[in-house]
Amino acid sequence: MNPQTDILQAADVAFAYRPDEPVLRGVSLTAASGRFTCLLGPNGSGKTTLLRCLMGQLAPSSGAITLDGRALRNYRPRELARVLAYVPQQPASSLAFSAGEIVLMGRYAHTGPLGLAGPGDLAVAREAMKMTDTLGFAARTLDELSAGEAQRVMIARALAQQPAVILLDEPTSHLDIRHQLNIYRMMRRLAHDWPMAVVCVSHDVNVAARLADELVLMRRGAVIASGTPDEVIRQDLLSQTYDIPVDLIATPDGGVPMVRAK
Amino acid sequence: MIDAGERPNHVDGAAAPKPAAPGTPATLSLPRLIGWAAALLAAAGAVGGACTLVGIINLSDLTPQIWASRTMQMLTAGIVGASLAAGGLALQGLMRNPLAEPYILGISSGAGVGVMMGLAAAARLSLPAWASTPVLAFLGAMASCLAVYLVAQRHGRLDPYSLILSGVIVNIFNGAIMLAGNLYIDQYRIADFTYWAMGQLPDATPTSLLAVCGACVGAGWAVLLANSPAYNVLGLGDDVAASSGVSVHRLRLVTFGAVGVMTAAAVALAGPIGFLGLIVPHICRMAFGPDHRLGMIVTPLAGAIFLMIAETLCRSLGPALGLGRVPVGILTALAGGPFFIFLLRTRFRGAAA
Repeated sequence: MNPQTDILQAADVAFAYRPDEPVLRGVSLTAASGRFTCLLGPNGSGKTTLLRCLMGQLAPSSGAITLDGRALRNYRPRELARVLAYVPQQPASSLAFSAGEIVLMGRYAHTGPLGLAGPGDLAVAREAMKMTDTLGFAARTLDELSAGEAQRVMIARALAQQPAVILLDEPTSHLDIRHQLNIYRMMRRLAHDWPMAVVCVSHDVNVAARLADELVLMRRGAVIASGTPDEVIRQDLLSQTYDIPVDLIATPDGGVPMVRAK
Repeated sequence: MIDAGERPNHVDGAAAPKPAAPGTPATLSLPRLIGWAAALLAAAGAVGGACTLVGIINLSDLTPQIWASRTMQMLTAGIVGASLAAGGLALQGLMRNPLAEPYILGISSGAGVGVMMGLAAAARLSLPAWASTPVLAFLGAMASCLAVYLVAQRHGRLDPYSLILSGVIVNIFNGAIMLAGNLYIDQYRIADFTYWAMGQLPDATPTSLLAVCGACVGAGWAVLLANSPAYNVLGLGDDVAASSGVSVHRLRLVTFGAVGVMTAAAVALAGPIGFLGLIVPHICRMAFGPDHRLGMIVTPLAGAIFLMIAETLCRSLGPALGLGRVPVGILTALAGGPFFIFLLRTRFRGAAA
């Protein structure tokens, strides 16, 4: 991987909510433009905490995070929002805004005092909706959409920030397998075509192994292994990560094998 | 695409906008904002004029003094109504809680305690009313804001149930202080004070007090309007808002500060008038949609119209029914109580926890 494209770097990051219970113990990670990275690990392994550190919501107790060559903590909120965007697990459900209005909210950090969208903002929002295939229901409100459609709107909203890095926290945990696969394919395409760095916390090893460029296995606040799916999808590493013996099952198409807990 | 954005898509009161042409993100434009601002300002002016006339039409000897006093009273009603409605909208947006408003959260009663102390201090220290009352009202309002916030927040997040409950507690506490204050107020002024505490617009407001309070409301409103896009984004959750460029913590401080100033001004002028900050933002949301930028323009003007009409009703209807002049705070509470229960039963379930 070309080091020129490394945009988000975490070096030896530690974090604890309470002093005697470290959640992250010296995690290092690099997200590169054009690469789709998935963070995998059991519940409580520190994936989401790491993501919150990477988005500047939590300040690491030690270690350094740099974004585009600058310390993350030196970014002002609006400045950060033009480089880095975030997609939550589930969109807020009590909103009466239309999908189009929500995508335009992604322009918050780019617009002036009243946040009024100019022609340029509308063009960006339109492009983001085109890439996520959400243009068709721009005028519908979020609670009129299915969970998969709503999540695509949230991704479009993040894209409207025109970020170089997009962070997602288990964006498909409420979706069926078809929509799950669609979202992962979309993220891979965005990483390669935009291009941008995509970092996704994932709860599904198999779909991540199938579509991510890089997997990072985490356990108890530390990185067990990272690399391409071929390098990381190994019986010993996965058993160690998830604390349960696993089988690897060959797939019909000869790709990365399927992981199944014994 | 741009011209389509100017299409008013929420004005007919329908919950969902009409389907736009494919690929047209609905948006708010400056002409539309200015158009509605002008329309509502004109409406507020017309209602104010009409209410002024209705209030004095049955008086046989109209003197210029009566005209002036009635006009000032309508101006006061407009400022108070605008302040409380804008404050309610901001608090509801900030907390993603449809039941938030200055009165329910105890900010009004905190300002009330301050005003009471101001009245006591003014008598003893011979300070001018415009100097002591609004300042102490602001201190009382901010103390209540702080108390409610500290009780309701947990790990930097505001729980909607705790918020309402802590508002109730702060209201009871402030109510007790005000009742105790009654014991120490000069018996010749106690009737005035009692009417004020019920939410009665005074017949004569010192111009200096009106000017100071009007300026406070105007400044607070400008701050809220400047932050109105942030309330929209905040509706998507604290994390999404923060990653979109909203300084969530700063937004909370600024909003509480601005609402504190505005509420203090309103209470200094007319006593604690309840539920207006609940009713008016909801009506405006139904009519104009959820966008806080448009909301922060139409809601205060609608609040001004609402209070001018309510005050005129109290002045005209009360005597007609043989009740004498009813303080307007009693009317808003009688209308607002059932409305609060209606919202609790229908909307609160959907509130973000």
